[in-house]
Amino acid sequence: MNRNRQIAIIIPDTLQQLGLQCLLSEYFPLYRPCCFSSLEQFSHAADTFDFYITDADSYLVSLEFFLLRRNRTFVIVREGVAPAPAPLLLPARATMETLIETLQPLLTAENTTLLPAEGSKELSSREIDVLQEIVRGSTNREIAEHLSISLNTVLSHRKNITAKLGIKTVSGLTFYAIMNGIISGEEIDS
Amino acid sequence: MPLVSSNMQMSEVVEAHTSLIPVLNRLGIRLGLGDRTVADICTEHQLDTDFLLTVLNTFLNEEYFPERKLRTFHLSQIIDYLTKTNRYYERYQLPNIERHLRSFLSMSGGNPSLALIGRFFESFKETFLRRIGKDDGEWFPYCLELSRRLATNPDVDAEKGFSLPSPENAEDQIEALLADMKSIMIKHLSGEYNDNLCYAVIFAISSLEKDVKQHNRIRYRILLPMVAAMESLCRP
Repeated sequence: MNRNRQIAIIIPDTLQQLGLQCLLSEYFPLYRPCCFSSLEQFSHAADTFDFYITDADSYLVSLEFFLLRRNRTFVIVREGVAPAPAPLLLPARATMETLIETLQPLLTAENTTLLPAEGSKELSSREIDVLQEIVRGSTNREIAEHLSISLNTVLSHRKNITAKLGIKTVSGLTFYAIMNGIISGEEIDS
Repeated sequence: MPLVSSNMQMSEVVEAHTSLIPVLNRLGIRLGLGDRTVADICTEHQLDTDFLLTVLNTFLNEEYFPERKLRTFHLSQIIDYLTKTNRYYERYQLPNIERHLRSFLSMSGGNPSLALIGRFFESFKETFLRRIGKDDGEWFPYCLELSRRLATNPDVDAEKGFSLPSPENAEDQIEALLADMKSIMIKHLSGEYNDNLCYAVIFAISSLEKDVKQHNRIRYRILLPMVAAMESLCRP
């Protein structure tokens, strides 16, 4: 469900690349960092990234590219030397705390849009029908027959139920169904 | 996480990672470790240092799983370790969850949804003990027999296909049940209950879950391929 978000790190300096990779994987593990020493290296896949981190020199060299993605590009700068059309700045000499605080609002704001809306966590009435069948011990084929739906639809309902409830096994689903009055305990014991 | 190595003091390793205590215990290593190194302790308990290190390191680091190295150990070592972990689950970890669960249920004032958790655990326990019984009674003896026969007479025919307990890539039922039990308590608990005892149950379930994950990695990614390779050697 959660596609890994990607960040392109376009910096010729290996140590800076490594430092950023460490920082990202430690504090923003949902993002997968990909390193490039120059823009040419990744121009073919340029738009598959959610964010870009680059240094001031690389930024200026490929100004046109980055200006189009200005609100998704962080530029590493030394104190007081910001490239002209100021994008998001990442001061190289800042403390780790400051770096994280600079990255966090944007990186985590992106994440929240990945989560399904609160309301969609409720089971639909069709999903409840399928859940009742699962708990009664019906096979997928039987469920399809009883509810007059295709086998594929059964499978996709099952997948959604698991995703919404965070429960995979039949025993777990049975527990959920009884607890929420979707099925009565006696029905299971019989 | 830095890897444990043979010249480290075992007590320092354990101080940093107390979750290793149950792993050491099942191998017969007990606390009161003094200043002895990992290598000293292995000599004392007649354990293969390399093997112990691999077990400890894979237990500590979920990312670290040196398949090639693990496959160089003898099949009997692998089975011995898996058997010891099974014993440990049976004698200590399952009863431990049970004990916590019992006081959790009795101290939570007759909350009916909790009784269901108790039933869920019972069915999990039954599934788990059935698997352990099958390991002891069928699968492990079969693997050992195969390896013995190959050692004495490489031309021998394998018995006709023994159905392996579980396909390698299928989701493991035991892991899934443990994960559900935890998730149910975390996401779907309702009514009155004792917070502290609830945490004790979840903690006990999580530590069994972590242990089973390591056991399963060895089971599916090491033992299963080893046995498959032996079977193909046996076939004419």
